Amino acid sequence: MKLLHLFSILFLIMVLNAQDDFFNPGYSIGGYGELHWNRELDKDGETTKNLMDFHRFIIYYGYNWTEEWSFKSEVELEHNFVQDGDGELELEQAYVNYHTDKWGFQGGVILPTVGLLNEYHEPPLFFSVERPDYSKYIIPTTWFGNGFALYGKVADFNLRLAILEDLEGEGISASGIRGARGKGYKTTGYSLVKNLSAVYTGINGLRLGGSLTLNDAPINDEPDTSISVQMFEVNAKYNANNIYAVFEYGQNSFEGNNFTSPLKTSSGYYLDLGYNIGSMVNCNKLIPWFRVSNVSTDVDTDSKIADYMRLGLTWWPIDNVAFKIDYGTKTIKSDTDNPTTQINLGIGYNF
Amino acid sequence: MKVSILIILTSFLVAGDIKITCEEHLFNLYPKNRDIRMHIFQLDKQIKNKVENIVKQRFYKDKLYYWTITEGDSTKAYAFLDNVIGKSMPITFMVILNIDGEIENVNVIKYREAYGSEVGSKSWLQQFINFNNNSDYNIGKDIDGISGATISVKSISKGMKKITTLYPLIQSQLK
Repeated sequence: MKLLHLFSILFLIMVLNAQDDFFNPGYSIGGYGELHWNRELDKDGETTKNLMDFHRFIIYYGYNWTEEWSFKSEVELEHNFVQDGDGELELEQAYVNYHTDKWGFQGGVILPTVGLLNEYHEPPLFFSVERPDYSKYIIPTTWFGNGFALYGKVADFNLRLAILEDLEGEGISASGIRGARGKGYKTTGYSLVKNLSAVYTGINGLRLGGSLTLNDAPINDEPDTSISVQMFEVNAKYNANNIYAVFEYGQNSFEGNNFTSPLKTSSGYYLDLGYNIGSMVNCNKLIPWFRVSNVSTDVDTDSKIADYMRLGLTWWPIDNVAFKIDYGTKTIKSDTDNPTTQINLGIGYNF
Repeated sequence: MKVSILIILTSFLVAGDIKITCEEHLFNLYPKNRDIRMHIFQLDKQIKNKVENIVKQRFYKDKLYYWTITEGDSTKAYAFLDNVIGKSMPITFMVILNIDGEIENVNVIKYREAYGSEVGSKSWLQQFINFNNNSDYNIGKDIDGISGATISVKSISKGMKKITTLYPLIQSQLK
């Protein structure tokens, strides 16, 4: 029996040594942040907004117990300050992850897979100083909540089903769905958000994605009155041969149950085109880019329909730091004679 | 006691998976008359620092696992196993170099995270074929990016550059 013990200990030492070569349990830290300087001018050139804002500061913390079991979290401070309704401190992600080669599970505070930016929103990943308004009002980025998800990979397709807390029906307005996010704060689970997504990555440099999201959003936490929400979106991103192109389109439908919905349909899109001229000017990455976009938070109300044109230049001295400048106009359909000019400067980073 | 032995044996088999996967990959790639042998290379501190400074990525350990692929007395290729860090988990991959230091084949042996596993796709890895220590590894220009796998793409690309940069410095010391 003693011999058996000795062999067991020897085996254990070998096992630990072998595992140590490729994986060690332990923590990982990351984060991102962005400083913005936003200016807006009316058609007469008068300044209507001049704001300097350290918009987001995020710390990522994760712990890997084993190769399969890990914990991941992100805490976010918005606008550098929290007091009396100003600024926000949010637990944007906090979940246990079980992962194998073919499938995985996440449970906790998670992100639904909806649009390109909801899961991947580190500032060096997108061109503009501010996230596109599409990703704010049509896709309520960053949308996070309590729930769990199952995901898997089949050939070149990544499939994911996320089940989350209900949206808050009373937060839906002619300004769209953004106010309906529960943000994990004492939320309900009567109907549950069902978010099904597929992403295809079979062609080098190209990512094609789409999702369908359904929920009966209770009004003031009472399921007898609700708004049925259906969100459908498609997205594409291409990054090869120095060409950077992004396209997203989404449509949200709303229907009241024992309740009059304040709107029926939101829709929008944006298209970004950029070309990396970094090698021409001998720097890491420098992209002049152009964006055209429409955001209609209520397609039946002209004052809620906006068209955007934007030009910008983004410079990455290293891949994790981006300096950004952009210039554009926003034209509201009900007031086309008074477009707003927007000029933004920004610095973003991630690690 | 039976249970503890069973757990230990199971763990051992799991830990051995990486080596088995690597050798299966090599046996599939090369004809049966090739001799494939595993070795461990102890990295000299000076060379290690030099390569890390050039590539801006650390070696995972002070040693590297590698395999020689020989036919008769002649070495045809070297396969290096390396670990790089993704967002939070290591990515284990194998680079096979011909004797001139050009990449012949790349394979992601183990990917451990929920996001970014596309770096393991053959069509993406195919881009590195024929790259050597003089190649540019710029993402989006020389190497196509993968949306949603930015960190993994960077880590793997640097990992390849690390091995091709190391090779001419240690070639004479390899078995």
